[in-house]
Parts: sequence; structure tokens; C-alpha cells
Amino acid sequence: MEKEMRLNRRGFFKTATAAAIVGTAGVLTVPRRGEAGEGKLASLIDLTRCDGCVDRPIPACIATCKEIKTGRLPEPVEPIPVPFPTRKVEDWSKKREVSTRLTPYNLIFVQKANVEVGGQAKTVFVPRRCMHCDNPACATLCPFAANHKHENGAVVIDQDTCFGGAKCQTLCPWQIPQRQSGIGVYLKVMPTLMGNGVMVKCDLCSDLLKEGKNPACIDACPKKAMSIGPRKEIYGRAEELAKSINGYLYGKTENGGTSTLYVSPVPFEHLDRALRKGPGEPGLGAAKRVMAETDGMGKAVLAAPLIGVAAGVTGAFALLSKRKDRVKKEG
Amino acid sequence: MSVSISEEKNRIARHGSLELVEHWALALSGLILLLSGMFELPTAARYKITAIPGLWWSSDFIASLSIHYVASVVFIVAAFFHLFYHGLLNDRGLIPQKGDFRASIEVIKTFFGKGEEPPFDKYLPEQRLAYLGMAVIIAVIILTGLVKTYKNVYAPDLAHGLILWSTWLHNIFFVLFILAFAGHIGALVLKPNRPMVRGILTGKVRLDYARHRHPLWLAEMSAPAEARGAAAAEPMKTEAAGSAEPHPSNGQSNNE
Repeated sequence: MEKEMRLNRRGFFKTATAAAIVGTAGVLTVPRRGEAGEGKLASLIDLTRCDGCVDRPIPACIATCKEIKTGRLPEPVEPIPVPFPTRKVEDWSKKREVSTRLTPYNLIFVQKANVEVGGQAKTVFVPRRCMHCDNPACATLCPFAANHKHENGAVVIDQDTCFGGAKCQTLCPWQIPQRQSGIGVYLKVMPTLMGNGVMVKCDLCSDLLKEGKNPACIDACPKKAMSIGPRKEIYGRAEELAKSINGYLYGKTENGGTSTLYVSPVPFEHLDRALRKGPGEPGLGAAKRVMAETDGMGKAVLAAPLIGVAAGVTGAFALLSKRKDRVKKEG
Repeated sequence: MSVSISEEKNRIARHGSLELVEHWALALSGLILLLSGMFELPTAARYKITAIPGLWWSSDFIASLSIHYVASVVFIVAAFFHLFYHGLLNDRGLIPQKGDFRASIEVIKTFFGKGEEPPFDKYLPEQRLAYLGMAVIIAVIILTGLVKTYKNVYAPDLAHGLILWSTWLHNIFFVLFILAFAGHIGALVLKPNRPMVRGILTGKVRLDYARHRHPLWLAEMSAPAEARGAAAAEPMKTEAAGSAEPHPSNGQSNNE
């Protein structure tokens, strides 16, 4: 906030020039196709570059995501079973064209924030999708292990084993996963009593990553606003970029750290205030790690076997030695 | 420990205080684990369990995980203590014996009026089999739970295969634990077993019941100490006037 107050017209010009220089350097260093490679990955979203593809019917990242993900979800059964007792069916199959929020058929969208920087009105466009958190409660607490954090950093929901209970959505600080009712394994068990479809979200194009390619949205971006690469490298680059534009980082500490870093010339709390928020339209506010408060007790659980063994061995030897003494005394 | 018989009060000590603590630590923490584990499924909000007084927290996955962890510490410490303490003391009273399966079937038949019960040791054959079954269930639940906890705290990107196996075995054995728990409670509903309820609450059962149903146990306690090994040689206190001379305990599972 204080930082932003210091931004006057001259300051903003300087920042913009620096962003342009660093940005140009960034373009040159944006990983080439397939450079994401193996090991821990991270992606960088440079908000100084994203222009929301205002000249296109829908932003390129959304268009390409829709294109490659179309047909990935099976057709929902008709009629979709009505869950007891909530009677809440979530069917997006008839609104597949929606591109202005997250849906099971729209895994990335671009938010628009009108903010004032140094007395000047500015529009910042923010591509939004799963952050692929470092320790995602959505995955670790999935009761069926249908959601998993892979070694490369991607958090992927297995649509064949997901019951659509939406626990992941509840636990996600940004409520990213979206539910499509009428599909999935729950239909084969107790469709009205247990589960309600399949949860769907960005999987960082895991199949493409396996082939050594980049996620489709990253390659589709005409402004090269998004990049992916080895985590250390991307983190370093994001920090360098933020420093050079006197800007801000988001995703480094949020929810305990993520594999997605946003760099913005505007404080994220300002962007958060300016964004339209609601279901499928997440904010950009502070996000404490959901599971932080359970870590201490989790460590105690892991120590419990040792405590039990120590107590058992000590108790048994104490009793045996007592018995031995008694036998000795009794002659 | 000493095993006491009170002719006057018609009581015999069946479980030591340590055994009672172990049993109830496992039982109560196990119940809390069942409940909090159930609330890790997204059911509480859906089925309005949150509206039940005292269960407002049931839809809060982090709250139920915290409770699950606290109960896990008690459960795991009790289970490992039990294994090592009784293992080192060579307490074998609850270890299944040859022929227990066939004997159990015969005993179950008697519950339905077919035949007569044979004389029992301290534990019934089906109790020994149930103990083994419960031990296997608890072992799997603990091992898979530890993997899941390690993943939650330190390694969210643990191999997916390992997490899948751990999660599904944890879930399946969670259901088996419920069934075993129901069977355990169900067995106590049967009339011949009811006198044992007092035993697990107070440590003592009726002496006439023990004489009638567990004569092998009483006989074993009455046997000369040297016959059962010096390690088990402890005096049996008798509280009633004119009762038998002090007897050594059977040393099997009554512990100090």
C-alpha cells in the first residue's frame, strides 16, 4: 500500500520501462517448447504482459484450454440423479461456452481489475486457474486419494475415482475445483446417497508435460505472459522480475507456497478489492496454509509408535525385574 | 500382579487395572477415530449432522482432522504399548490356539440351544480369534494411517501408488473396524456372555460364573506355581475367610 502511494506518473513510467526491459529479457528466456522438463516445476504469470486478449472473442489461453479439454469429460447421464437430501445438481454441460468463470468445462479464465496506479486508471488482467499448491489440502485430504500432488508439482484429480463430494473445493483457499454432476464412479455405487459427480480443475496439462511439452495455455499466450520451467529457476526469475518493477509476488507464500507465481506492478490486495468475486471467481487475498494448524499434532502421531514401544518395553522390564526380585526374596 | 478372589463378595479379578486402561484407551480413542474419520468424508454438511447438538464442528475437515490426530496418538501409543508390553511378558492368553475355529463354531451353536458349552479357559476360543482379527485390523489401520499422516505433514507428493493403497486399505479396514466393533458389542448382548461386561468395567467377574464357565482358568490358577514357570509365580490373594490357601496367578494377562 505504502509502496503504491509513492508511485507517481514518473514512477509509473519508470516501472513500465523497467517492466518492458525485464519483460523483453523474459521473452528471450521464456522456456522453449517442451522446456518444462522433469523434476519440480513452477509457472510464472506476468501480469505486466497479460492484456486479456481484448482483441479476441475469448482470451487465447481459455480458447486453447477449451479446445484441448473438450470431450475429456463424458456426457452426463440423463436424468442426472438428484442427491439426497440436498437436491443440489450441478450441471454445466449445457453451459459449456461459459468462459468468464471457472466451470468443469472452463478450467482457466481471465479476471479484470480496474485499479488506480499513481493517480492513473489501469486495467490489470489476471489469468486464473489452479495454483498447484506445494502442500495442497485438496489432495492430501481427499478421502479416496483421487486428487494427488505429483512429483512435478501438478495437482491432478483422477476423474475415474473422484466421487464429486467437493471436499477439495471446500479446502481450497480459492475454491478452484468445480463439480459436474451426472458423471463418474458415484453413478455405479449409490448415486443419490453418496457423491455427486466429478470435481474438475486444471491439471497443468499433465499429459502434455509427460510428453515433454508445455501446458497448452502457456504456449497459446500471444503475449508470453505465462511461462513454466524448473521451480528454482522460475522462482528466481519471478523474484527478479518483481524486484525490477518494484512490484509484487503472489503464490510464493499463499497456502504455504504454490507452484504458480504471479508478478504484478499493483499490490495484490488492491487487485483483490477490484476483482469481481463469487462462485468460480476466486479472489487474490491472503491465504494461510489450510493445514498448518494440524502439523504439530500430525508429528505427534508419527512419534506415537516410538512412545508406545518405549512405554511397553520400560513397563515390561520393570515388571520382570520386580518379579525377579520377589523370587530372589522368596528364596 | 495378584489375582484376588472374594468368596464373600462372589468376585474374581479377571483383568488388572493396566489391562482396563489399555482396553478403554483403545476403545474410546477408537470410537473417536471412527467418528472423526467418518467426518473426513464430505457427509456432515450434506446430511445436516452439523445440526446435531455438539456436532457443529463435523463439517469442518480441519477440526475433525485435529480430533482424529489427538485420538490417533492415544490409540497408537496404547496399541504399541500392548504389543511390546505383553509380547515381552509372553502373555499368550489371547493368542489363538489350535482348534479354536472349530471350537468357536461349537460354542456359537450352543447360543442357539444346540449342545452344551465345553469348559473354558480364561478366554473363549472365539474371543481369541476375535482378538487376532481385531489385531490385524488395528495393525493395518495404524500402518496406513501413519503413511497418510506422513504424507499430510511432510510429503504430499509421495508415490501415488503408495497413497492409493494406504488410503483404500485405511478406508476398507475402517469399515471392518466398525463391523468388528459391532460384533464385539453384539457378543456382549448374548446372555451367556453378559457376566463378562462387569469384568471389563470393574476388572472383576462373578466367582460362580467363573467356576461354571471358566473352570480351566480357575484350575490353572490353582495349579502349583512351578508348573507354570517362576516368572508367573505370584500369590493369589483370597479375601474370604476359610477360602483356599493363596494361589499363584495364571500370569497370562493379569498385569500390574
